[in-house]
Amino acid sequence: MKLNPGLDLGSFFRVSTRERSDWVTPVCLVLLAVGGVFFIYSAQLATGREQWQQQLVWLAAGSVAYVAASLLDYRLWLRWAHWVYLAALLLLLAVVIPWIGSMRMGARRWLDFGPVSFQPSEAAKFAVLVMTASLLTGAKLGSVRDSLETLVKLALAAGIPMVLIIAQPDLGSALVIAPMVFAMLYVSNLSMRFFAAAVGVFALLVGVVAFDTWRYAGFLEENNLSPTTDRGAYEAHSWLPLRDYQRNRVLAFAAPDRIDPMGIGWNQRQSLISVGSGGLTGKGWTEGTQAKLGYLPRSIAHNDFIFSVIAEEKGFLGSITVIGLLAVVLWNGIRIAGLARDRFGALLALGVTVLIGVHVFVNIAMTIGLVPVTGIPLPFISYGGTFVLSCCLLQGLVQSVYRFRRDF
Amino acid sequence: MSKGFASNGRMTLLALAVLSCFLCVAVRLIFLHVIDRDDLLKFVERARRQIVVENARRGAILDTKGNILATSRSFVVLGADPELLRREDERNWPELARLLHVSSEQLVQLLRRGSAAHALALATPDPAVKERRIRWVKLADEVDESVYDRILALKVRGVYGTRDYQRVYPGGQLAAHVVGYVNKVGSPVTGAEHHLNLYLQGSNGWIESEKDGARRELAQFRSREVPAQDGCDVVLTIDSVIQHMIEDELRAIAAKYDPHFATIIVSDPRTGAILGMANYPTYNPNEFSKSPLDAERNYAVTDIVEPGSTFKIVAAGAALNEGVVTPLSTFDCGRTSVFFKGRELKLPREDHAFGLLSVAQIVSHSSNRGAAQLGLLLGEEKFYEYARRFGFGQTTRLALGGEVRGILEPPARWDGLTITRMPMGHAVAATPLQIHMAMSAVANGGALLRPQIVREIRDAQGAVVRTFTPEKREQVLRPGTAAQLAQLLTGVVGPEGTAPDAAIPGFEIAGKTGTTQKLVDGKYVNNRHVASFVGFFPASRPQVVLSVIVDDAKVPGGTAYGRLIAAPSFKHIAEQLIAYLDIQPVTPAPRRFLAMDGGVR
Repeated sequence: MKLNPGLDLGSFFRVSTRERSDWVTPVCLVLLAVGGVFFIYSAQLATGREQWQQQLVWLAAGSVAYVAASLLDYRLWLRWAHWVYLAALLLLLAVVIPWIGSMRMGARRWLDFGPVSFQPSEAAKFAVLVMTASLLTGAKLGSVRDSLETLVKLALAAGIPMVLIIAQPDLGSALVIAPMVFAMLYVSNLSMRFFAAAVGVFALLVGVVAFDTWRYAGFLEENNLSPTTDRGAYEAHSWLPLRDYQRNRVLAFAAPDRIDPMGIGWNQRQSLISVGSGGLTGKGWTEGTQAKLGYLPRSIAHNDFIFSVIAEEKGFLGSITVIGLLAVVLWNGIRIAGLARDRFGALLALGVTVLIGVHVFVNIAMTIGLVPVTGIPLPFISYGGTFVLSCCLLQGLVQSVYRFRRDF
Repeated sequence: MSKGFASNGRMTLLALAVLSCFLCVAVRLIFLHVIDRDDLLKFVERARRQIVVENARRGAILDTKGNILATSRSFVVLGADPELLRREDERNWPELARLLHVSSEQLVQLLRRGSAAHALALATPDPAVKERRIRWVKLADEVDESVYDRILALKVRGVYGTRDYQRVYPGGQLAAHVVGYVNKVGSPVTGAEHHLNLYLQGSNGWIESEKDGARRELAQFRSREVPAQDGCDVVLTIDSVIQHMIEDELRAIAAKYDPHFATIIVSDPRTGAILGMANYPTYNPNEFSKSPLDAERNYAVTDIVEPGSTFKIVAAGAALNEGVVTPLSTFDCGRTSVFFKGRELKLPREDHAFGLLSVAQIVSHSSNRGAAQLGLLLGEEKFYEYARRFGFGQTTRLALGGEVRGILEPPARWDGLTITRMPMGHAVAATPLQIHMAMSAVANGGALLRPQIVREIRDAQGAVVRTFTPEKREQVLRPGTAAQLAQLLTGVVGPEGTAPDAAIPGFEIAGKTGTTQKLVDGKYVNNRHVASFVGFFPASRPQVVLSVIVDDAKVPGGTAYGRLIAAPSFKHIAEQLIAYLDIQPVTPAPRRFLAMDGGVR
């Protein structure tokens, strides 16, 4: 079937009736999402909260977003990239303004609209993705010298939203953007030198944080301070814009015995216990005790630590199933990126896949003690409004790339 | 993918990177799920199990009339859970402050401090800290049950208490040596508290259950629930009124004579029930730590004295019982020595010069030489046998423990003079209670009883679970002999006796004075004495045995004679007892002696 190659608006809003669509990803996503609802129910069983119902509503909205995104030709976004980006920036600016963004747990991350609230950082992920893909589509990349102009534009396009998100503060959400941008640069055939340098800078950054945390531990010991009650004491001594609670998490990850395992290390420790006590087949749905009895803190069991709940109740088989389904989704994303015959489509599919992949890996790795605790949820499974919506929309883009790709 | 836009190699590499991340996760999962599983499971179990102990209430100690001598007061440690406090309850805070006897400002400060720390914990972005927020702010250490009831009636949500017990002795030092006390950590230390702890302690209950991440109990996981069993009440034979009488008397003696120690014992000769037992010095069990340790001794059983002349009841009783003399047999109490087993033995000194005395006179005049001759007449073995039978040299088996046996050596270890000295109560040592019980045997027709201090045990609901009955240890004298001896002992307060002032006309006081020189560094000294008066009344139908023993009374420039020191106290107490126990005067009409009916069996 011949596709109109032009980019006129009329063709984009025309609902396509193409018979071609990918079924692998949607089936996996439905399985994950339905499973997620069951385990949100289980995780909150003891608290009396029933957010699984809200999750269903969000998933319904997400399905609409998914279908809409997949029915629309993805090239629409190439044209609209700048407007999408601008809108996301405005939302990000709005949320840090005290009388607009709502303050929860010491951070301004939400915009309240009556019963629902919205997380502009999710919109920012989408915007940065589209913007980066659009920038890279029109640019010629090769050696670092040749690509300098594009790189500067990219740095600004990705950097400004990241800085705004860090200001909320929400370091985790900001950091997931970076690997996505790097991956898109990587497949755009940017010189390997650049990545060598990037890896070097990354290693340096990790080194600096490690050194800072080591000094922090020494500072605590020297001044006989407690990491929980004397938070903030070290912040004045360090030029790194890290908060002491973040240092505590790094410390709890790197040296769990060094720092109070009943306080700061508590979540990760209890998460490990949850996962491990599940064994091969688990304790059974709603039979897990760690979340129910509040050992796995109830405020986070249904979102950031939902994987621990699944691992405890369904054991190794359950957790490997979740990982398997997610791996299929991601693998399929890369496959679709490879199938795409245009730069924009390939970059879009790859960017989505890497973004979701980072979420999946960081979240699961956190619950099993491979990385420090960060507040990054598990896509399609964790409870979360805007996040569910944004994940669905992103996967809709991938579907759109599959459906509207050129076949020549 | 070959026709794809992106570089084939780079795309593959990226895919491999994603794959390796997932492999890492899978390997880690295998470790956690399969290899470390058992350890982690054990940790889960350990962290959750808890045992909550529910304290049993310790039983009370009551006197024979049911008055409380020791009891456990329950009180409440009051606190508040800041998380549960409600704004609409704040109007009740002033009333709460009034009940707790603190100012409103202080209370609000306490509650707000808890709330502030609580809010701070809640506001932190770290969920771990949030879940360990403050859930308990102590408001008051000791709140009475009645006040607690009123606090609960205020219905301030989040304010609640936990129950604890404190031992109190409402009578203060009343019967302190008998009751004993429980120390600050709850261990019974002396007296009934210690020796009857079996009945008093009850058994603590416990609840085995699990706790959640915020350390709250999970009632649905209770695996075992054993209710606390409150301790039994112990009813003593002590009568608080009588105990008061003798303690007042002891205070008077102490004020007047500043003795080393003094003991007064009152008992019922028919049952052996101790109605009162008190010592000087004493202490207040509510404030036991403020008294010297010596004040905690129950001198009546823990310390020994030479009984002195009161011991002459052994010589007289034995001689009469063996039939070697009658009350009218006479002895020459003027002679200074006798021949015994081929040796000339010097007889002890007398306070007064006596001539020919009958056995009745030997008793009433308390003749040392007469008693010695009675002993010689009996012989060493016989005399020793009777001393044993009167209970000397063995514990009385009082249920309070801490008792010593006293000193009564067998004849094989006597020296040549012992047979002349022991009948007058030298070369033998006894506790006040031993002397008292020996006199009690004379009173009740010759039966040596075990002193009884516990009357019954009642469970927490008040039902009697065990009663204690009189226990006879030995028939020391034939009832007839005992009656004869009782008759002779009335002569002690007669006009010719050693303590005529102790007589109470119409009530047949029978008793024996004692004045013993104290042994200091192995020698009898002239200026320090143990004064005693041990007796009973009415002699024909005795209802009360009463002993007053004063060790080392200070009498300026004189001797602390039993007649001077102990007999007046005996009389004073006896008068009160007659009124309190409603003892009727003995009518002149002929009455049968209890002993003639066979005595107590």
